[in-house]
Amino acid sequence: MSDSVLIIAYGNPLRSDDGIAWRVAEEISRTSSAATTLCVHQLTPELAKDISRPSAVIFIDSSCDGAPGEVRCNAVYADRSSENFSHSLAPDQLLSICKQLYESEPCGFLVSIAGECFDHGEILSASVMSALPQAVAAVKKLLERRSLLQA
Amino acid sequence: MAERRTIVIDPVTRIEGHSKITLHLDEQGQVEDARFHVTQFRGFEKFCEGRPYSEMPSLMARICGICPVSHLIASAKACDALLAVKIPPTAEKLRRIFGLAQVAQSHALSLFHLSSPDLLLGMDADPAKSNLFGVLEKNPGLARDGIALRKFGQEIIERLGGKRIHPAWVVPGGVSEPLSQEDRDEILKTIPEALAIAVRSLAWLKGTMERFRDEIASFGNFPSLFMGTVKDDGGLTFYDGKLRITDSKGQVVADGLDPKCYFDFLGEKVEPWSYLKSAYYKPKGFPDGIYRVGPLARLNVSDRCGTPRADQELAEFHELQRSAVLSSFHYHQARLIEILYCVERLEQLLNDPEILSTHVRASARPNELEGIGAAEAPRGTLFHHYKIDENGLIRWANLIIATGQNNLAMNRSVLQVAQRYVRGDKITHGMLNRVEAVIRAYDPCLSCSTHAAGQMALSVQLLNREGNVLDEVKRS
Repeated sequence: MSDSVLIIAYGNPLRSDDGIAWRVAEEISRTSSAATTLCVHQLTPELAKDISRPSAVIFIDSSCDGAPGEVRCNAVYADRSSENFSHSLAPDQLLSICKQLYESEPCGFLVSIAGECFDHGEILSASVMSALPQAVAAVKKLLERRSLLQA
Repeated sequence: MAERRTIVIDPVTRIEGHSKITLHLDEQGQVEDARFHVTQFRGFEKFCEGRPYSEMPSLMARICGICPVSHLIASAKACDALLAVKIPPTAEKLRRIFGLAQVAQSHALSLFHLSSPDLLLGMDADPAKSNLFGVLEKNPGLARDGIALRKFGQEIIERLGGKRIHPAWVVPGGVSEPLSQEDRDEILKTIPEALAIAVRSLAWLKGTMERFRDEIASFGNFPSLFMGTVKDDGGLTFYDGKLRITDSKGQVVADGLDPKCYFDFLGEKVEPWSYLKSAYYKPKGFPDGIYRVGPLARLNVSDRCGTPRADQELAEFHELQRSAVLSSFHYHQARLIEILYCVERLEQLLNDPEILSTHVRASARPNELEGIGAAEAPRGTLFHHYKIDENGLIRWANLIIATGQNNLAMNRSVLQVAQRYVRGDKITHGMLNRVEAVIRAYDPCLSCSTHAAGQMALSVQLLNREGNVLDEVKRS
């Protein structure tokens, strides 16, 4: 396992606020070299191999819960209590697959941004757009924390 | 006298899209009819009208998140026909690579993520365990192999197309960018592992077959026609060739059929209970013209694969049943043989001296007002047919998708499985799962075939003769 950090932003940029995670990841990529970023539509089992290599993984997602624009940051752990799988996984499930198949347990964090509109469209709602800097800051804070921990 | 009843399975799980199954029972509790209903609708053929033809490959790729590459290729070929151009040889080879990577990753998804719980844990396994997590608990090596194989295909698609899902690299006239030496070399490095996985997965699957003798005998095990694209020498191909149709005895019914004339020999029928059209072979009429497409059909119609390991497996496959391989349970094995072929063929193409050529696109304005493109998608033969006006705007589009061509066979398969396993008025998980599992064997993609959005689910209803629901099982 390396000391690197992987950021996985997931959502559908053609579904309005569901695309906020990609925007955050693009901003991080543009302004920081502290992490590798990956933008995907959903979490699939193949990502378990990707997250087995870094020491930490930061998931970024939009959320249906909370006031529009609310940014939350939580640690996530390998958990397979919910084993229903059809086509996509939750971060804790993905970490669980990683642990079981690749014997790797990267630190996991989830930065979520509450969305307001998930209709077809590529434009973020005003409340979510205004939360973009805060979400970027939340991810950068995690990256700095990782740096501090490793120093 | 007992009542006639109907069992409804809603939704069907571990497939691509939304559907339900209805089983009609007679007074003795025996299944007398069964229907596979596709309950979603999208309408891509309609809303693309008025768009420039050059947008079609990218638009059509949006039909599916699993096999966008197949739609890209068929659509681009239809646009090539509108331009009336011959695309550069390297562009054709690169499209072939793209398509083979797509087949490998799509087949891996079907076999390892969706069907392996049934094959590894058994048809009667606890439904709470019949999923990927159950597989990785029982056989982590198999789960790792599935992930690695899917990743193998996806990463080739990403290297060529710039992204895994909905890449827009295939364009009318060729492809937009050549293959770099670095990407070629990186892909070649992944071939040995993919080959090893394909070989050991086949060994594993063949080792499980004995456990499923009963299912093999009743999972879509009936006479039908088979259709697939073959090369001039009768070899397996996914990109280009002529269509061959064989019967249940393995005899060639029609050969050298030009996909551009599909409307001469393929018909489509709309049933009021499904959004999925049923295709049939016109000379035999409906429904006698029932035919199957996809891995099982392709291997039945092909004389050879053209790569050493896949040819060995094909020879063994052809021995599974006398004459043609009729049981749809063998779609799984056919799928793995095709993965093996894809990996071997990818290596051949990547080592082709021309593959790094930078001449990968022909330019032209439209020279024809009608164009047809066909290719073998993972699930079977795919047709895109467009008509444009003098300004290059789409005026009419018709898509014939593999899943629609398997619709009659899927319905007959559900009936066969239900008649074998369903008795009386009690719905058991094992019965329900077998009815679903035969559908999974075909790996239907309902988002592709109906052009509808969403997830796949299964619904089984039990009705009396008045149509009242007596029992119902739904899954979401």
